[in-house]
Amino acid sequence: MDSEEKKNLPRRKFFINGIKAVVGFFGLSLSIPLAGFFISPVLKKNAPGWIEIADVPALTAGEPVGITYKYARKDGWEMSEIRKTAFVLKQADGNIAAFSNRCTHLGCGVTWDPAARRFKCPCHGGVFDAQGKVLEGPPPKPLAQLAVKVEANKIFINEA
Amino acid sequence: MNRIYQFIDERLHLGPLISEIANHPVPDHANLLKTPKAIIYCFGGMVFFILLLQVLTGVFLMFYYVPSPDHAYASVTYIRQETAFGGLLQSVHRVGASAAVVMVMLHMLRVVLTGSYKNPRELNWVVGVFLLLLVAGFSFTGYLLPWDQKAYWATTVGVNMIAGIPLIGGFLADALRGGSEVGALTLTRFFVIHVMVLPALLTIFLAAHFFMIRRQGISRPL
Ligand code: HEM
Ligand code: FES
Repeated sequence: MDSEEKKNLPRRKFFINGIKAVVGFFGLSLSIPLAGFFISPVLKKNAPGWIEIADVPALTAGEPVGITYKYARKDGWEMSEIRKTAFVLKQADGNIAAFSNRCTHLGCGVTWDPAARRFKCPCHGGVFDAQGKVLEGPPPKPLAQLAVKVEANKIFINEA
Repeated sequence: MNRIYQFIDERLHLGPLISEIANHPVPDHANLLKTPKAIIYCFGGMVFFILLLQVLTGVFLMFYYVPSPDHAYASVTYIRQETAFGGLLQSVHRVGASAAVVMVMLHMLRVVLTGSYKNPRELNWVVGVFLLLLVAGFSFTGYLLPWDQKAYWATTVGVNMIAGIPLIGGFLADALRGGSEVGALTLTRFFVIHVMVLPALLTIFLAAHFFMIRRQGISRPL
């Protein structure tokens, strides 16, 4: 290292720091908008609200009934129709409960077996009782309860 | 940071490579810190910087853009109105496209005025002409993608200009459109040219351009 180069060292350090600062500035000011752009649809609320799915008099106490309901959902730049199934159950005391049909293991659709009086999952043998409690198989949690309200004998559910 | 670098450097000996790339003096006449007149030597680098920004914003716009007549316009509207920073990114991409063209022009003007296209740099001028065509190609194909009225008719006019070439013009225009009218096939063609074909070519020609600049050095002052 000759003396010429020695003299240049602080200057070189200055430039390296300068380059770091400039790259850092651009990196930061770009990464915030880019990350926000990428993630923003995830942060949007897109809940359908209360959906009317059944009439109270059509139900028999203790007998879950699977009801497929539809709603329009904004799906990116288009509207798409979502179809889902919920089980509504009139309890012995007349209260109404509703369960999602999605198995709490990995999300397959359970069906009600009236003879066995069980919900059964076709995928890995998950079994639930009429109240949604796990009886057998891998599901870790009972079937998800949906919010329910009854107005003028009509049953509404709310997923959120 | 330092330890990660050390780990890699111990194994790959990057030091000499990095100084090969970064450790060479900029001649005084092209050094902005020495003379303000050197700004004319910065235009090429500015084009390069803008192109990097275009790649970055372009990749992100593609997360939402759909190159199909029934979704293109809706997806662009979605980007602008419903995503965070989408309007900003689209604007940067649009303004950047124009800025790249302006900067390329200024860069060429500098090369002409300093006579830098002469022996031994003729080949780099030729590569430069291809770079100019590529930048123009990006602008032309990108303009169609929003699929609004302006996009549609600008492309109709632009392709009809190509149809004016004697003998092969009609065939070229049809090949570009994927038929006799601007339509769904034109949109997917232009999209693939814009996001795949031109970037690949640009990378190759930029590598050649930069290799020659390093090999031959910046031309001497007038
Ligand atoms: C994508 C577009 C282009 C980029 C990113 C680019 C980049 C650069 C850069 C960074 C330099 C170093 C000196 C300076 O910045 O002035 C340079 C030099 C040069 N460019 Fe370009 N350039 C582009 C297009 C063109 C075009 C369109 C031409 C001419 C048709 C051209 C011809 C040249 C020549 C001949 C040199 C050598 C000049 C000298 O040694 O003094 N370039 N280019
Ligand atoms: S998904 Fe129902 S048991 Fe696995």
